[in-house]
Amino acid sequence: MKNIHQKKLSDETIAQRIRSASESRPPADFVSRVMDGLEPKKLSFWTRVRLWLTEPRSMTFTPVRLIPVVATVAVLLVVGISQFDMLYMPDNGNHPVRFVFRSDAVPASNVAVIGSFNNWQATGAMMQYDRSAGAWVLEMPLPPGNHEYMFLIDGEKFVEDPYAPLGRDDGFGNRNSIIIVDGAYEQAL
Amino acid sequence: MDEKRETEIIREVLAGNPGAFEELVRRYQGPVYSLMLRSLGNADDAADLAQEAFARAYTRLETFKFGKRFFPWLYSVSMNVLRDRVRAMGRDFHVYMETDALPAQAENAVDEREAVETRLDGEKAFEVVLRLAPKYREALILRFRYDFTMREIARTLGVSVSGAKMRVGRGLDMVREEFGRNE
Repeated sequence: MKNIHQKKLSDETIAQRIRSASESRPPADFVSRVMDGLEPKKLSFWTRVRLWLTEPRSMTFTPVRLIPVVATVAVLLVVGISQFDMLYMPDNGNHPVRFVFRSDAVPASNVAVIGSFNNWQATGAMMQYDRSAGAWVLEMPLPPGNHEYMFLIDGEKFVEDPYAPLGRDDGFGNRNSIIIVDGAYEQAL
Repeated sequence: MDEKRETEIIREVLAGNPGAFEELVRRYQGPVYSLMLRSLGNADDAADLAQEAFARAYTRLETFKFGKRFFPWLYSVSMNVLRDRVRAMGRDFHVYMETDALPAQAENAVDEREAVETRLDGEKAFEVVLRLAPKYREALILRFRYDFTMREIARTLGVSVSGAKMRVGRGLDMVREEFGRNE
């Protein structure tokens, strides 16, 4: 018990020292050096749309105006819930998808597929090595739609699927691969 | 600076006003420069690379997701810039993260007596942190200095959440061991 208490105290002490240590200061002209190199941005159409859609707006409602809005939302909820039930019923139209990761370029002792369909968790998504194909393979049923995913190598390295037809920046400097599930497409060995 | 203000700035920059970016540069120049200085050990190189990091963040600002914190995103971009520089120097980034000691140590080497005193002095814990391999050093600094969540640390360092927890825990153990060795 005493040891546990000492360990906790020590962690807090170390954290405090890290938090309070003085920080290195960049050169005095650093900000102007950065700013001098920047040009005004020329936005794509889609970025303009995204900015417009995400722009904060204030709205005011009166009870009379609110009634049709509430009615519309209620109808959409009912329709949406029924669609949701159809999508996730057993044999709901999920399609088998085969993920393939060729390991010749990236040595690996284990590989998992993580993505938007499994909350980016490796649990239950470990791939099996197919010796004849020389590749890591996993089949899983996925609902129709677009799904983002990456390969997780040895539990710590994220790798984009080089054979994915589409990809998207994840906002953290990496790219997620995208698979389109419509019953006609799956990765091929 | 709160998230709401940062979002306003980013929207302004994206709308075509690069001058608004200056507030973000002023706010985060210290952490980004410190990252580069810790990693390269040379003030001029660190300033150049920190400048490159902000330039890349500006270029890629369209990929920033509103509703997220800006600083972890900026730090991830900075780590990628650092990764590119390490590779350009002909070195493997993963090996660098595993094994490199702080380059500045050689330049600012202290004598053995001073080093022992440093290890014995609790106030110098941060210097012990700076001597750790970068994978542990950065995890500890992100967690305790910049209050990153484990998920943010994982995304920034390119590891799983459990990997981030392991690095923070192991880093703490290593600092403790360094002090305990002289008690």
